[in-house]
Amino acid sequence: MTQAAEIHQALGAFDKTTSRWGRITMIIGLFFSLAAPAYLVFFAGLDIEIAGIITAFAALAAVFGVIWIVEPLTYFPILGASSMYQAFMIGNISNKLLPAAMIAQATIGVKPGTRKGELASVAAICGAATVHLASLFIFVGLLGTWLVSVIPTDIVQTIQFYILPTVMGAVVVQAIVSQKAPRSALIALVVSVIVVSVAFFFKPFGLFSTAVAVIATAVLAWVLRDRKTLGTPEDVPVDATPEGPVY
Amino acid sequence: MNFPAALPTAADSNSTDILAVANSPVLWACAIGVFLVIIVQSVIYMKAARIAAPHVGMSQAELKTSFRAGAISALGPSLAVVMVAVALLTVFGTPAVLVRIGLIGSVSYETAAAAIAANTAGAELGGPTYTQAVFGLALAAMSLGGAMWMIATLILTPLLKKGDSALRKVNPAIMLVVPGAAMVAAFMVLGIGELPKSWIHVVAFASSAAIMAALMVIAKKVNRPWIKEWALGIAIILSLAITYAATRL
Repeated sequence: MTQAAEIHQALGAFDKTTSRWGRITMIIGLFFSLAAPAYLVFFAGLDIEIAGIITAFAALAAVFGVIWIVEPLTYFPILGASSMYQAFMIGNISNKLLPAAMIAQATIGVKPGTRKGELASVAAICGAATVHLASLFIFVGLLGTWLVSVIPTDIVQTIQFYILPTVMGAVVVQAIVSQKAPRSALIALVVSVIVVSVAFFFKPFGLFSTAVAVIATAVLAWVLRDRKTLGTPEDVPVDATPEGPVY
Repeated sequence: MNFPAALPTAADSNSTDILAVANSPVLWACAIGVFLVIIVQSVIYMKAARIAAPHVGMSQAELKTSFRAGAISALGPSLAVVMVAVALLTVFGTPAVLVRIGLIGSVSYETAAAAIAANTAGAELGGPTYTQAVFGLALAAMSLGGAMWMIATLILTPLLKKGDSALRKVNPAIMLVVPGAAMVAAFMVLGIGELPKSWIHVVAFASSAAIMAALMVIAKKVNRPWIKEWALGIAIILSLAITYAATRL
């Protein structure tokens, strides 16, 4: 056998193993992640209706549906097929897994996009996953649960009561900064203020307010885009891709 | 009672004692299941990489170095995620936080998803209407939403690998503008929607946004990227402290 054919065969075996077991493990992960709510809905004795879940899911799809498809498309060229199954289960792709892969490639001096680079990034993501699982288990699973059991009830109540505005305040700013699209941010602000005002005076509208705001902003941001920089696909500068750990 | 070993108290749809169901042993078992799956996956991937490495001129030492480099570089970001996760423990319970915020999802997406789901039931995330039943609904919606990412990955990866040209023809300008705008709008409308509720909600939103903005400016000025990593956790915890102080006035 020639050397080239041997390399080809070895890498073929790697691709086969990772895509087969990557898919199998991801499907099992999917099962466990859905088993938890399934238990609450069907076996815990809580009064949760299927129709209510469908409504909630439809509302989510209206808001995040585009992201569900766009995110895998965006990361595929960077991660490569084998790492896709790792990344979308471990999470924190842009702020943890991508830097881990890049640092590993730089450390041993290989280029991204090469086969050696791919193996380095797979190993780096395994390393990152190990550290991440260990720190989550120790600091959140064990210490965090203990911490929650000793903090006073009124603090617990404050956290529960005001968690949404607290998280969204920081997240909105982070999203605006990392997207680097001031025009879209301004449109989102104007649309949101209008939508929230309407919902304030006309309560039933509140049910749809998030979806309406998101769809209206997406359409307006596209129609009112800066045609000088975003006119045709070829004009898009490579480094204009958002960096953010937004989604 | 908040410990996983404790027996679950009888579920009560109208009770606001979320943690009684959120920390149930079954939910813990599912969370540990996800942990184990990722461990198994990593072992299989490392083994496959070890077998393939010599054929592309990569030594086992280089592979080990890559693993270690990945592990060390993940330390900071992981602890930053831990900080955010701990802040949300009382809202979703430990198992859901581990899986949804620590692993598959992210704090911004999951909190938004839970709030949207609660709203469809005429309730609110974290208030007096945030009952065990609403928590169950929120977790179901968060998990189904997260499942869509995984399903999209399972379907799209083989297609992209084959080099499906239809998928690559998607106008990159649309990809650049629309998802980003949609995300900013989702967070913006959820945040601004909280403002009419009370002046303390305004304090919570404004202080969190201001701290985040300040940290972003500082990170850029002194050129320390790690500040960006920790910014979300710092902003959430500090503004919760400010909000707590405000409730005591």
